[in-house]
Amino acid sequence: METDVTIISVNISKNILNNYKDYQVIENNFVISNLLKYPKIIFFNALNKLESEEIKELYNILKNNNIKYINVTNNIEEVLLTSNLIVYMDDKEVVSGDTLEVLKNEKLLKRIGLSLPFMVELSMYLQDYNLVDKIYLDKNELEGVLWK
Amino acid sequence: MEIREYLNKYGIIGVISDYEISLDQNGLVKDLNIKNRDKAFKMVNLDKDILDKEIKDISLDNLFKLDLLTKIDKEVIIVGNLSKCLNKKEMDYLKKLFLKLVNEYHKKIVIIDNDVKVFFDVVKVVLVLKDKQIVYETDNFYDNELYKYCKMPKIVEFIKYINRDTKRLEEVTDIYELIKDIYRSVS
Repeated sequence: METDVTIISVNISKNILNNYKDYQVIENNFVISNLLKYPKIIFFNALNKLESEEIKELYNILKNNNIKYINVTNNIEEVLLTSNLIVYMDDKEVVSGDTLEVLKNEKLLKRIGLSLPFMVELSMYLQDYNLVDKIYLDKNELEGVLWK
Repeated sequence: MEIREYLNKYGIIGVISDYEISLDQNGLVKDLNIKNRDKAFKMVNLDKDILDKEIKDISLDNLFKLDLLTKIDKEVIIVGNLSKCLNKKEMDYLKKLFLKLVNEYHKKIVIIDNDVKVFFDVVKVVLVLKDKQIVYETDNFYDNELYKYCKMPKIVEFIKYINRDTKRLEEVTDIYELIKDIYRSVS
């Protein structure tokens, strides 16, 4: 298992946690310093109240302490904060790999009920209009290309 | 105004606050008090296969739907945590159902969430509650004051950023409208 992973899901239940028995499950509020005693952590819908910057900061702390982490979430925006992505449906893996590569399976993801992160979806539509030629995750960069 | 007055005026209101599903998670799904169960399950796209499952073992989206069905007969239906429980397709479907419940069955609906995106297309007024008191209200998803209390949706963040010096884009909440607007702006 990679160091940093997001699991995005359709019809997922806590049964999925049985696949990650060596991970410490975090479901609700937590104190960061208490996490540092665990070598592997799985967040189960526990980060949805945090801003992206706060999640990035949390991940940096975990990385710096050599802690592997998985974030199970329904918030598609959170997938961009890890390098790896696993998509589950009905507790079964549908597709996995490098996050941006997995997100390129737009049709598959939409068919099972998922959306794409805003900047990825925006870039893909702009590509259809020949306004950009790749996916931009940074709005400043995208602005520079569109209104140059 | 009191919350009741907002409900009478708008039918559906959005509330920024914390919410946990109140469904008792002990027991089996089939033991829940849901009237006209077959029809109710069909209405929210719930599979009858879950009837024999323990409530604690079912998925968050199904838990949300069951929570909704246990309240569906009430005049005022309070639901929450859509952003945590539902994927895009289900959220869109349930938003349409909420509008149907208000327009055809004269229900009042309170949607509680911390993610404003959940309110797009269904809610005309957003209230911020602290200690059961209304501390702020707005009918504008681009109201900066609102985002002192909750996360800003990515589409709002993007348009605000692009418009920071010069207004280039309309303040929309739909990505298709945004794409058309960008096309007009850069062409």
